Amino acid sequence: MIAILVFKEKLKRFYSKYDMFVIPVIRFLLSFLAFYMISSNLGFMSRLNNMAILLILALLCSFLPYGVAALLSGIMILLHISSVSLELAVILLVCLMVVTVLYYGFQPGDSYLLLLTPIFYHFKIPYAIPLLVGLSKSPVSAVPVGCGTFLFYILQYVKQNAGVLTNDASLDITQKYVQIMKSMMTNRLMAVMIAASAVGILVVYLIRRLSVDYAWIIAIVAGTVAQLAVIFVGDFTFDVSVSMGQLLGGALISMVIAGVYTFFIFSVDYSRTEYTQFEDDDYYYYVKAVPKMAVSAPDVKVQKINSTRVRRNPKEER
Amino acid sequence: MLNEDKIKLMTSISMFEKKEEKYIYPVRRYFKSDYISRHMLKAFFGYTFCCLLVFLLIFLYHAEDIFSMLNLDLLLEHAWTYGIAYLVGLAVYLLITIVVYAKRYEYGVRGMKVYVAKLKRLEKRYEFQNRTRELSREVRKP
Repeated sequence: MIAILVFKEKLKRFYSKYDMFVIPVIRFLLSFLAFYMISSNLGFMSRLNNMAILLILALLCSFLPYGVAALLSGIMILLHISSVSLELAVILLVCLMVVTVLYYGFQPGDSYLLLLTPIFYHFKIPYAIPLLVGLSKSPVSAVPVGCGTFLFYILQYVKQNAGVLTNDASLDITQKYVQIMKSMMTNRLMAVMIAASAVGILVVYLIRRLSVDYAWIIAIVAGTVAQLAVIFVGDFTFDVSVSMGQLLGGALISMVIAGVYTFFIFSVDYSRTEYTQFEDDDYYYYVKAVPKMAVSAPDVKVQKINSTRVRRNPKEER
Repeated sequence: MLNEDKIKLMTSISMFEKKEEKYIYPVRRYFKSDYISRHMLKAFFGYTFCCLLVFLLIFLYHAEDIFSMLNLDLLLEHAWTYGIAYLVGLAVYLLITIVVYAKRYEYGVRGMKVYVAKLKRLEKRYEFQNRTRELSREVRKP
């Protein structure tokens, strides 16, 4: 435990020393991952699949806010989809515009969630994002997470039906449009996953704010259980099929990720909790103070006594 | 000579300014009612624009049925339904806008008080420094 705490301290020291470089690198990696995933999963517009273009765009995003990365990702997705189905591109454009105008007018700082959610879905750990959002943000952030989920399922739909959307000459534009809208509105798995994310975020948020010991850990477990419960209810009610192994494995990994996050952000020592009470003219105060777990990173200095190695004379040894 | 206390205070003011600028700035510029009205107006246009887009998608989805039937009464009925949905949605969205921006303004007002207090402390620091200088000059004079 001490070793991990020391590692955390070292990491904190490293971050505070080199944050000027660490933040752009993280931005670059996240943006590049998002662009690469878009290209590898969709990749219908061959000109955009050039690795140099992706790297240049990611490099550009590393010095700009996350909103720009989200905007560029949106444009890339729209361009890829428009080369398969213009109707779907228009629908997606409208959905993105509605989210941008109605939600990001209030809370512009959340745009990275729109990128992160599909990435987590891609790595089969979608249950981690509601846990992390519930631990770090407010329930309102369920909106970008829900939109990210919607975006992931749209991309999956395009990936699965690219051939039908491109080559089906028997359908005219209106028929294609109606078919796409129907498939989007009747995607029950998407609806269940959005509901599970929203419930997960709410449960985690409510529990982690409680004044009980190990609130964050309880919140992680309860949030995971709540998400699984919603998926099971969806499974029985709407007959959506979710692979059991993937579900449980994803939930377990998500819990581990949330646990690691908790360790780095909220590590406290409940065994040294102190209670105090006092009053002023207007109130009585019942205060519970939980100390943070902290160790100072050892500052190891290696003192060299002999700077150069003295080679023994082999003749003398004899 | 460098004054460490003053540098610390100025740094903290500068950091506070950078962190809270977006909340403090409207408080300096607008009255609360103007600030909220401005955002309500923006919210009204934004919501109306989004509704138009969504209704267009819905219209295109039902276009074939609408043009095949061309029943005016049914169309009017649907128009009423969508009109009411728009108005209810608008009312809810505007309410959310009012609550959010009223809270932000209140937060800005509190931030402004802290900012002014910090500036006053800095001003006192300057006054103290000037007075000390004057006194030292007077002492030097024979």
